[in-house]
Amino acid sequence: MEELFSFLANEGIDPSLIDAARRFRDTHPVAEEDRSRIPVPEYFYYGRKTWELALAALLAGKNLLLAGPKATGKNVLSENLCALFGRPMWNVSFHVNADASYLVGTDTYNGQAVVFRPGPIWLCAEKGGFGILDEINMAKNEALAVLHAALDFRRSLDVPGYERIDLREETRFIATMNYGYAGTRDLNEALTSRFAVLDMPVIAGEDLSKLIARRYPSIDGKICSQLVRLYEELEKKAESAEISDSALDLRGLLDAVALMEQGLTSGDALDMCVVNKSFDAYERSLIRDVIAARLPSDLTRDVVFGA
Amino acid sequence: MIKKQFTASARRARNIIWNAAGRYDFEPAFMAFFPNGAPDHYFDMVVGFTEKWLDMEKISAFFERYAHDRRVAEFDEFLWLGLENCVYEKEVAERPILEALRRERAERFFREQENLSRQQMEYQSMSVYTQQQARWSAVLGRRAPLRTPREKRMSEALLFPGALDTDAVIGAMESFLKTFFRFESGPVPAQRAAGTLAKLLLRHEHRRRDRLLVRTGTGEGDHPKAVLLGHEGLGRHAAPTEEDEAYIRAVFGRSAISDAERRTLENDLCVDADADCRVWVTKGEAPDLTLREAADVRESSLRQQERNRAFLDENAAALAHAIKALTTRIETVLSSYLKHLPEPARSGRISPEKAWRLPLLGDDRVFLKNGEEVEQEIFVDLLLDASQSRRNMQELLAAEAYVAAKSLTNLHIPVRVSAFRSIRGHTVLDILKSADRTDCRGTLRFYAGGWNRDSLALRLLGHLDDDPALRGKRRILLIMTDASPNDSSPIAAGGRFLAREYEGDAAVRLTEKAVRELKNDGIRVGAVFHGTSSHLEDLGRIYGHACIRIRKPSQLAQGFSDLLLLLLREMRGD
Repeated sequence: MEELFSFLANEGIDPSLIDAARRFRDTHPVAEEDRSRIPVPEYFYYGRKTWELALAALLAGKNLLLAGPKATGKNVLSENLCALFGRPMWNVSFHVNADASYLVGTDTYNGQAVVFRPGPIWLCAEKGGFGILDEINMAKNEALAVLHAALDFRRSLDVPGYERIDLREETRFIATMNYGYAGTRDLNEALTSRFAVLDMPVIAGEDLSKLIARRYPSIDGKICSQLVRLYEELEKKAESAEISDSALDLRGLLDAVALMEQGLTSGDALDMCVVNKSFDAYERSLIRDVIAARLPSDLTRDVVFGA
Repeated sequence: MIKKQFTASARRARNIIWNAAGRYDFEPAFMAFFPNGAPDHYFDMVVGFTEKWLDMEKISAFFERYAHDRRVAEFDEFLWLGLENCVYEKEVAERPILEALRRERAERFFREQENLSRQQMEYQSMSVYTQQQARWSAVLGRRAPLRTPREKRMSEALLFPGALDTDAVIGAMESFLKTFFRFESGPVPAQRAAGTLAKLLLRHEHRRRDRLLVRTGTGEGDHPKAVLLGHEGLGRHAAPTEEDEAYIRAVFGRSAISDAERRTLENDLCVDADADCRVWVTKGEAPDLTLREAADVRESSLRQQERNRAFLDENAAALAHAIKALTTRIETVLSSYLKHLPEPARSGRISPEKAWRLPLLGDDRVFLKNGEEVEQEIFVDLLLDASQSRRNMQELLAAEAYVAAKSLTNLHIPVRVSAFRSIRGHTVLDILKSADRTDCRGTLRFYAGGWNRDSLALRLLGHLDDDPALRGKRRILLIMTDASPNDSSPIAAGGRFLAREYEGDAAVRLTEKAVRELKNDGIRVGAVFHGTSSHLEDLGRIYGHACIRIRKPSQLAQGFSDLLLLLLREMRGD
């Protein structure tokens, strides 16, 4: 994890925040059986200001709501934060049927008696983990009401018929919330007030360039810069609602570079990882036009990564 | 806007231009297409780069100076060759692929020339052809074609350097036309300057695609003062007479409700500010065509219906996609926000009435969890503002209403589509599609004309609650509006000495009150806004946060479903 700490130092993050995070980590050891839940990030989040805001909020004991459009690195940042603080992570995706019992726990029969089977929020509270509440605005608010006491100053979970537990001191919740360019952004007030809200900025060209170069150090500088511009152009197109944001996928762009490294041509790699993310034939043609105006489709591994 | 938005090739060309320009906030003055109708990718990029690097307004104004000349097509081709070189040199450092794209374009030129028929060869200008041949040969590093000394000088003159700024480019264009064609351009005549871009666009598309974009209205959607409505003064207004009612019946068709029902409605609704108004609910059936005015309106509404239908046919693929996208989104929203019917499970909430089965029968399916099935419990009213101010987007609104109605119908959600307008003191609610019909093409009867007394129309629709499809359902009312209520019948004077016009702040306040009343009656009201930014504040005042703004048809699916989500949440009290 030293790599992440030195990355933050290189990015110019306030040293006092880094030190505080280190102290937090050292003073809150993790049980052996939960160590496998501490994530090992594949990518680092770039953005000094955002890092500082997020660190300050978590160190102050606050829960964090990361709000922003697609591909602003919400999940990368949450994963990075878990890794930095060395906390086991419980990821809760708010799917259609997510209800209070899915979050906290359900009744079940163990062959002899009806017992409580703890859910991710319960485990997170009990074991001092970080709970990632993914796409929290997709959840029914009635399902989330059960979290109110856990998220505010009471820091406790009370399940009727079972015991009431207090959250461990190191437990935090990081929620993510996606809002589209044309859509409304909405989360009920009671819930929003329980989070420190971080409006996630769109990744800057320079940071994206660093991200690609860090992951693929041998990539040709000019091609890297054209990939960054390509991403910015797709972003602008999505922002103008000319295409949906399905092709605006940072991970997809990085995956495309990975496929080029495996020997696919640039055209095939971008088709698989960017263009085909859209299932609308017409939209795909618009995306291909943007790519064609930036990169030739026949770039080979030797060209992309230097001979 | 309508045709342009939905015409696939044009939209694609426009996207290439915007992308190259790095901006999406302008309407391209030129678009380039190959003879088969496909966008000319390279030249569309050149148009975009011209927008990016030069002042397109000035350049377009220069093109307009010779618009009346018979050699206009030739001049266009020459000057775009000049601009091509200039913006290529400006852009290539930042976009290295441009070199390859330019070569590709050059190769395509020669490939296509080989396949041209004799007739097509005769049709094109030899002088232009020679210059194009010279340019593309040079790009490919081929030997230049045989040219006269004059033609050689022309080729050189058309290599506008990348270092030129807008004024210098215009100077180079001027000098080219003067030197080789003795064309001296004066300033643009004032009366021609207006609408320059539109004319250029038409000319350009016509030449390359043999197709004109002609339509009634501006076709550009709304902008401030796109349609001006003026009141003629309060003095002329009086309560509607029997003659007015006969006119309304003749023009809009017989009433869909009985006279007694209408009187009851008027007793309830036409009070206070609307005391001097009347209401009329119709399905557009049996208008009296013996009345000349009614026949005229009928004829023009049928023409509009035809245009709506043609628009739907022309854009069938795009609209089918929009319906699919919206249906999927609404389905997701409904499955997330409507009540899931519980189903037995081995874990979940224990069901006390079944618990005995566990120890006695060993049946462990005594728990309940949320099942897949969702209770369908909503009824949607879609209300369209059909006033004169919507004139420039009739096809678009009809198509959007069709898409919305069709998507809801696909999910078996009862939806009623109505249009409202006010005229001669009557607020007319025209039911285009009733809730029991699955065929949504009734929305194509939509046409714009008249005023809009939003407050009365909303209250009227709120009172129409005897539809059998409504039983046991909760109501959602979505209004497609420009948030600018405006009627020729004034606000009833009441105790005041003078009546006030139904417009501006007063009309907004009344509409806001009407929305509040509907909400109190349990009807959730949301607005789909198609107006100008100047009415955004009023939109917020009337509908609160339950509104979305649609600027492009592509935003409809997301915007509409987001609005529905918001209203469902409100409905559940989340």
